[in-house]
Amino acid sequence: MPKKLLLIQAFFKKEFIIYRRYLLNSLGGMITLYVVFLLLLGGFQGLRTLTGVEGDTVEGLVVGYVLWFFMLSTYQDVSYALRNEAKEGTLEQLYMSVHGIGWVMGAKVVAAFFINLMLVAVLLMAALVTTGVTVNVDLFSLFPLVVGTLLGSVGIGFAIGGITLVLKRIDSYTQMVQFLLIALVAAPAGRVMWMRFLPCSYGSNLIAQVMVGGQHITQLGLGNVTAMLFIGIGHLGLGYGVYKLCERKAMVQGTLGHY
Amino acid sequence: MIRVESLVKTYPSRKGKPPIKAVDDISFSVAAGELLGLLGPNGAGIVGIIGPNGAGKTTTVKMLCGLIRPNSGQIVIDGKDLTQRRIAALSKVSAVLEGNRNIYWRLTARENLEFFAALKGLNPAHVRGDIDHYLELFNLTEKANVEARKLSRGMQQKLAIAVALISQSRVVLLDEPTLGLDVQASYEIRQLLKEIVHDQGRTVILTTHDMNVVQDTCQRVIIVNEGRIVADDSVHDLLDLFRVRVYKITIQGVLTPCQRASLLDMEQVIIKEESPERTSISVRLEESQVLYGVIGILGSNNSLIESIDQEQNNFERVFLEIVEGGTQGA
Repeated sequence: MPKKLLLIQAFFKKEFIIYRRYLLNSLGGMITLYVVFLLLLGGFQGLRTLTGVEGDTVEGLVVGYVLWFFMLSTYQDVSYALRNEAKEGTLEQLYMSVHGIGWVMGAKVVAAFFINLMLVAVLLMAALVTTGVTVNVDLFSLFPLVVGTLLGSVGIGFAIGGITLVLKRIDSYTQMVQFLLIALVAAPAGRVMWMRFLPCSYGSNLIAQVMVGGQHITQLGLGNVTAMLFIGIGHLGLGYGVYKLCERKAMVQGTLGHY
Repeated sequence: MIRVESLVKTYPSRKGKPPIKAVDDISFSVAAGELLGLLGPNGAGIVGIIGPNGAGKTTTVKMLCGLIRPNSGQIVIDGKDLTQRRIAALSKVSAVLEGNRNIYWRLTARENLEFFAALKGLNPAHVRGDIDHYLELFNLTEKANVEARKLSRGMQQKLAIAVALISQSRVVLLDEPTLGLDVQASYEIRQLLKEIVHDQGRTVILTTHDMNVVQDTCQRVIIVNEGRIVADDSVHDLLDLFRVRVYKITIQGVLTPCQRASLLDMEQVIIKEESPERTSISVRLEESQVLYGVIGILGSNNSLIESIDQEQNNFERVFLEIVEGGTQGA
């Protein structure tokens, strides 16, 4: 098996073991998320506009919430992971890997993607059963759109993770990113052209068109999908660039593995 | 194997504090010949980097690991420049930097070894035999399926070292490997380090404050002070270089004021312990006249000499002589 695949497998196994070993804690997190969803459903109807799809439907709320959870988890898998590895003293070991830190973090993100996918599936099922609505789960159409959308949150994760390496202990600020992600999901990128260039917004809009609007990827237009992917790659590159600049500064200051 | 040339590291000023020169023009090398040729049961192949707090030891080791960027100088590992060919260079090195913090506490000992094997580019399935070997070598077989957080500190430290060894790297860097361990755990770690070097032909470079570790395990020692190398020699030669005969004379009772004043006038004499029952005096014997002089002073009041013992030369005294005396290039 190629070494990079082995690395992904190792991260997947590690994450899965910890998830299973601390099952009560993991389930607690899921239940909390579900309760938050119920609160949103009951009291905060304004969130229905999350997806930017005309009509403000319950389906839109479900899709927006699940997508936000996916983006938040992906962001945390990079940003919080860098912070936690530094805190636990293992970040330096990751840096000394023969794969290089870029590949190591990439493998971690890919492994976490599959774990998160399972959690998202459970959360989506629970949300659909609770609300009694149905959405279009066209995996062929959704896969590239979800990947393109999550590239943006990975980029944000790298940027914030990098800043944390330099400034340390800025949790109260980094926690605000979860609210920023809500705004990015809610941004009406379908109607307002410049919002398509925001991280995750264009992809969120296209995903909503598939899941709520019932469209197939071929109906979205090749240009739109390609543009969304390039914007995602751009945000990933930008976030990684910020991370590398911060990493360089941390290496000069000698604070790379400190927290 | 490792060549360090004119390494300089100054930490930039932060929060209004002035810049700190942590490493100031350090050069040394650990040769492949040394790795292969100087192996022996007495810990040959283990190089110690020692110095007082803030001397630049950890900074040096972290620069060797590519974790701190030097201002200038060059680090070459197995012919690969660390700055230009970072990954190729680091593939030859593994490290334990902050003791038991280098492992995942929520994974078991075995899971840690498997994960870090993959991180070093190895297939965990292919190194299962090695994993079993290290678990056994480090006396962790029974704890293989116990989460690292539930192990004792000594066991966590052993696991961290086993994790560093699983990569098969030729050089193992250890930052304070016995820090915070009890006497038994420290002894076990030292024995293991000697075994690793003797049986596997690896070079271990360690930093430590513990002079027992140096004297017991290291063949060669580099002493740094204020960012500079003040001595780089074999432990044996340094002990020889600073060898002086020191005698401990114990008398019954206390010294008279006159005896005390006379003894304190002699540079080579230290009054070490004094109680109504007995008094101990340490005498550095650079010439035999000194001993006669001391005995003469003690005899002037008929003090009863209980014993005269020769004190052992130890590395702690050598270290203090070098660091406090600023001796250059022993």
